[in-house]
Amino acid sequence: MKVKVLCRNPDDYLRETKRDIHKLPRNYDPSLHPFEGPREYTRALNATKLERVFAKPFLGSLDGHRDGVHCLAKHPQSLSTILSGSYDGEIRVWDLSKRECVRTITAHDGFVRGITFHPHGHHFYSCGEDKIIKQWNSKAPLLDKKEEPMNTILGKHIYHGIDHHWKKDIFATCGECLDVWDEERMEPVRSFTWGVDTVGSVRFNPIETHILAATASDRSIMLYDMRGSAPLRKVILKMSSNRVCWNPMEAFIFTAANEDYNLYTFDIRKLNLPLNIHMDHISAVLDIDYSATGKEFVSGSYDKTIRIFPVDKGHSREVYHTKRMQRVQCVRWSSDNKYLLSGSDETNIRLWKANASEKLGALKPREKEAFQYNEKLKEKFQFHPQVKRISRHRHVPKLIYSQQRELRIMRQSEKRKEANRRAHSKPGSVPFVPERSKHVVSEEK
Amino acid sequence: MKTTFQSHHYQEKEDKFEKAVKQAARLEHVQEEIGGFLEVEKGEESCKVTQHEIAQDVDITSATKFFELELRQFGPYRMNYTRNGRHLLIGGKKGHVAAMDWQTKKLMCEMNVMETVNDLKWLHTETMFAVAQKQWTYIYDNQGIELHCLKMLDNVLRMEFLPYHFLLANANAKGYLSYIDVSVGQKVAGCQTSLGRLDVMCQNPSNAIIHLGHPGGTVSLWSPNVKEPLVKMLCHKSGTRAIAVDSKGSYMATSGIDRMLKIWDLRTYKALQSYKLGAGPSNLAFSQKNMIAAGIGNTVQVYKDCCDRAMSSVYMSHQLKESVGCLQFCPFEDVLGVSHGAGFSSLLIPGCGEPNFDAMELNPYQTKKQRREVEVKMLLEKIQPEMIHLDTQKLGEIDMKTLQEKTDERNKLLFLKPEKIEFEPRYRKKGKSKTGKFEKRKKGVQEEQKRETVKELVQNKSEEELKRRKVQDSIPKTVLDRFRKKSA
Repeated sequence: MKVKVLCRNPDDYLRETKRDIHKLPRNYDPSLHPFEGPREYTRALNATKLERVFAKPFLGSLDGHRDGVHCLAKHPQSLSTILSGSYDGEIRVWDLSKRECVRTITAHDGFVRGITFHPHGHHFYSCGEDKIIKQWNSKAPLLDKKEEPMNTILGKHIYHGIDHHWKKDIFATCGECLDVWDEERMEPVRSFTWGVDTVGSVRFNPIETHILAATASDRSIMLYDMRGSAPLRKVILKMSSNRVCWNPMEAFIFTAANEDYNLYTFDIRKLNLPLNIHMDHISAVLDIDYSATGKEFVSGSYDKTIRIFPVDKGHSREVYHTKRMQRVQCVRWSSDNKYLLSGSDETNIRLWKANASEKLGALKPREKEAFQYNEKLKEKFQFHPQVKRISRHRHVPKLIYSQQRELRIMRQSEKRKEANRRAHSKPGSVPFVPERSKHVVSEEK
Repeated sequence: MKTTFQSHHYQEKEDKFEKAVKQAARLEHVQEEIGGFLEVEKGEESCKVTQHEIAQDVDITSATKFFELELRQFGPYRMNYTRNGRHLLIGGKKGHVAAMDWQTKKLMCEMNVMETVNDLKWLHTETMFAVAQKQWTYIYDNQGIELHCLKMLDNVLRMEFLPYHFLLANANAKGYLSYIDVSVGQKVAGCQTSLGRLDVMCQNPSNAIIHLGHPGGTVSLWSPNVKEPLVKMLCHKSGTRAIAVDSKGSYMATSGIDRMLKIWDLRTYKALQSYKLGAGPSNLAFSQKNMIAAGIGNTVQVYKDCCDRAMSSVYMSHQLKESVGCLQFCPFEDVLGVSHGAGFSSLLIPGCGEPNFDAMELNPYQTKKQRREVEVKMLLEKIQPEMIHLDTQKLGEIDMKTLQEKTDERNKLLFLKPEKIEFEPRYRKKGKSKTGKFEKRKKGVQEEQKRETVKELVQNKSEEELKRRKVQDSIPKTVLDRFRKKSA
């Protein structure tokens, strides 16, 4: 007779010294792990609730300007340097890690309409209401010396915006018409006009560096190629666009922030229909900036909120607001994809986290794993009604809540009326018009 | 699937799942321990091998696992092992209660509660246990200190602890089944079963359903969400004496006064095997390796491999001095604990325990700190009682009916003209009849009416669909159908 009874050596299962970690033998047999579904669901629910508990996006504000902030510029090489231009003609350079103003320049006599850095970051340009473009050195002058621009260009009309080429020593300004300047010349190298009153903003494409996008007062967005002498195309929308921004990862996609509370993402190869319409703001959208990953963008609007939208979705995933923040004039997403900056009417620049419940700083490997596990759980159970309800919940000021509801009722009633018209008239007389084509008036060459 | 991009995306996800399953299966080779076994020569029979012979042939530590506690004074005993198989709780009918670590033989507490003890169960860790006494149920610390007296649970005959839901299920002498959440201390659900005295009870470890046996030979399955039994099965021709369910939740063993032992498949509720024994076993237990232990009068018999196919012979057998009170296999050990009229015996049954445990679930070698961490994690992952169903896979499925209904309702609601109902709300005091609230109440009634009409519409539509389909199915189909003219 042969017999063996199960017997374990405790030394194999207990740690040898207090400095070791505990031993954890594993057995993945499913009969030892019952209730996988409900347990994972409970964990996902807990993860979603904790995300809402730890969602504290506001980091701090940069205080110092004496009038509203109109434009922001990111330093291309340094993550902690920011430039801001305000309504009283002042440009301030900020150090984000210390949250203080490092340098103040009295640049212009009116609004500072646009600031932009050279890609190397050694100098920057500013244009303003006093029809002057000034070039400044990024290094602060020595203590006793006054702030002097490296170069001054006197223009003929008010400039509304400025942007620098991503590779060459060329910059473009917009105002009455679109001017392309070379750094060494005092006159624009090329001037593009398309019979419009004013061009509101201009942006160079970061990947196809010879392409420019500009918004104009005739409610259109125009595309130009610097290599040619004539403009490429333009698309006319129902209302005018305030700003445009190119996707840093996709060469042919740009998003426009429009006055009709929406943002439109276009593909330049097919301009007659927007790729996506992003609807969630309840007032004109004033500025937009893409994240460095090219998957999301942030928009600041005249209703005093900032919203973060994913590129492929039509609604925002996050909304940031504060009682003290008034009309948001400019927003930027930092180049390390972690922070947002918003400059607003009440002279403050605010620093926010891009992921509201993210823990900043170096994470221990176990912490990192736990966060990654929670992210995956939330992704897996995102469509369950309870999980969806909790993760979607955002507290929003009363005005915005009631306005959103009103807009929703308005849109639903339009749909209902159209459906009734269709139901009570000859089949085919009221055609189905897709939402995307409703907002574009025409495309022109 | 909308686009090829999305279908590729989903295909990738499915591939990941398959890979994970394959990896988990491959890890079986890494596992260290091998289970026990008993091999007899050709002439011998395994059921004739005695415990003393096994204890002599086996190493010292395993031989210490075979022991007897002779306690004749305090009546037939009931016992319970903790979930990791480390601690043992025994309680005599006349009030003697003792908790010990049975492997090191260290006594944790011993006391006499001065009342009849009907049943005892460990709670989620070895720090607390519940004792169902004559009148009420008490919860004690592992030092013997009385923590709670649960007056809402009176005359409890049998208890079962559902570890992942933190629910203590109690079956009453008056036929009342109640569930208490021990983490919060509230009664979660309870219902009058109206099926008489409940003294046969068992839980299904894979889906937390309670099985109750009744004197008519029926077995009923209960969940805290429904006031009626989920399933009622007629198992025996006369009364049911014992029930046991295996750890995977696929087999149920029942025994009755008609001397039969039947094995049922819990997915189809059909009898797989039935054996006629000398007498109906009064206690049944399943081990982790699907061996069944049956307590028949003074003997304990262990059957191996009797669920899938008809067994030919008994695996092991042991004779006791008094009749069996309660049986339980010790998890992760090759040991069967039997409590009887003369105390407690621990028997060696080679091959009944799972050799490799998963330390993230249950760890027999856990330290105090590990126990505390695990307790916190278990509380955080406590499953709500609403999720107790016969089929645990339901949570992962899409609720097609509700989705369809919701979309239909949403589409209809936009385009309906509501009928005008003349509704004058009653005048209420204390500011509840302000004009705004008045109008709101009127509107609320209108909306309700609209919803009712939409629901009716949707239901009528689905009924019509069903009728149409029936009609279509009833018309016999021939090959020449496609040449017939289709009516407009």
